[in-house]
Amino acid sequence: MKEFQDLFEDLFVFEDPMDKYEFIMEQGSLAKSVSDINFEEFELVPGCTSRLWLRYTDKQFICQADSAIVKGLGGMICDWYNQATTSQRQEFTIETLNNIGLAPILSMGRQNGVANLIKRIKYLEYWGNKNSPNK
Amino acid sequence: MRNRFPFFELNPDIIYLDSAATSQTLDTVIQDTNDFLLNHKANAHRSGHSMGAWVDEQYHSAKAKIGEWLGINDADKRIVFNSGATQGLYDAIQLATRDQDDFSVFVGGDFHHSLALPFHSTGYNHCHYIKITDSGVLDLSHLEELLRNDASKVKIIAITAVGNVTGTINDLEKIRSISKQFNAITIIDACQSMGKIHHNYDDFDFVAWSWHKVYGPQGLGCLMIDPRWLDSSPVRPGGGSITSVSYETQTYVDNAQKFESGTPNLQAIVTLPRLLDWLIIHQEQIISHDQELTKLANSLCKNNPYTSETGLITMIPEVGTVEDIALLLDVNKIMLRGGNLCAEPLVRNVSANSGLLRISWGAYTTAEEIEIAFKKIGETYERISRFI
Repeated sequence: MKEFQDLFEDLFVFEDPMDKYEFIMEQGSLAKSVSDINFEEFELVPGCTSRLWLRYTDKQFICQADSAIVKGLGGMICDWYNQATTSQRQEFTIETLNNIGLAPILSMGRQNGVANLIKRIKYLEYWGNKNSPNK
Repeated sequence: MRNRFPFFELNPDIIYLDSAATSQTLDTVIQDTNDFLLNHKANAHRSGHSMGAWVDEQYHSAKAKIGEWLGINDADKRIVFNSGATQGLYDAIQLATRDQDDFSVFVGGDFHHSLALPFHSTGYNHCHYIKITDSGVLDLSHLEELLRNDASKVKIIAITAVGNVTGTINDLEKIRSISKQFNAITIIDACQSMGKIHHNYDDFDFVAWSWHKVYGPQGLGCLMIDPRWLDSSPVRPGGGSITSVSYETQTYVDNAQKFESGTPNLQAIVTLPRLLDWLIIHQEQIISHDQELTKLANSLCKNNPYTSETGLITMIPEVGTVEDIALLLDVNKIMLRGGNLCAEPLVRNVSANSGLLRISWGAYTTAEEIEIAFKKIGETYERISRFI
């Protein structure tokens, strides 16, 4: 299983920023974790500018977003997390994200959104959907 | 006029269409800021030396020219310098509501957050919102109805002259007439109208605007007050607002400096005389240019909730979110605004989950830039729709 930071290595290669965003948006179409089911309001990830829904079910994360870019990012991260080893999951924190240095690729707002997604993943994995603070 | 804005020579590939948020800066403003910091930096109203006198001269010249530009008398008594419209509106609202228990506020439904939030802090129960017509202007018959049915001792009308979401022009003449009929205090947010259209701002209690939206410096605004408010105590007492202080009392100045305690933003104020010279000379040309671009934008825009009358146009995205569209347009060096536009209640009403995209222009904007922006917006919709 590849490391989390490897997910983003392709993004650093693109010279044309439009190619970079097209790649991210394309991941939203390809990711297995992106689901068309109807999500509930309480499943919205708090703190995201765009709306991103996340659900933990059968030990897998599924997501959906109204933004093509956020959907791509969410799908990439959820796909990786669903297949990550136990130790990879345990070692995966906000710091993992900070260490990648996404600033050239994602705006501060988007980076905050990804950080909020990671927090939510960790929360739901520990507490489950029923204890969602949004509910 | 574009050649007077160095930004465009330095950044020829950027299409800047966010002038309603902040405009680009006139060349004299940049020159005068530098000149002040390099050669003239001194304080106003305090220092007896020649450098202080030079600053005083610029300060008073700025107010006199604002008076000339707006066609008002007694500018020294009426023009308050502050940090921007947000502070101006806050101060106006403090002056109007301070020591009042029995008051009602009638806020235009197209309000910018800066106009409504200070009233929220006085208690939501005081606030009534004036409806917007289908064409995007304030429904003044609704305002009259609200005022007729209100028994409060003090009535305050707080409205925007031009909506920062609608781009429509509210009827200030009629609002002035209504305010007199009901003896109401008037607070006007003129951020999107100042310098873009002819308005008679005289005879209102408070008119606030920011200079960074009128080709000037950031961090400087004005609050134009009716001289009757000079009898009020300052919102923030401090140095510069008094003529004498003893251990027991103080005497305030009898002009608008009363509301400018502390050292004002002089490096910005000294840029105003030459900026105002330019605005006075070019006002008709600026207005005419704005009207041409407004007509063009209305003809090219789809999905706009309101037909623009000046300065800006908003649209509901046909696909995707405003954040994605603004980001992808940024890749094409097109700078525009997307989101709630500091007017969340109205934006939620017209575009519940998507927010709005806003294109806004200035004296330097070309028709070609507007045309390119709309073409690129169409292409961006197509690009995003492949992944939605």
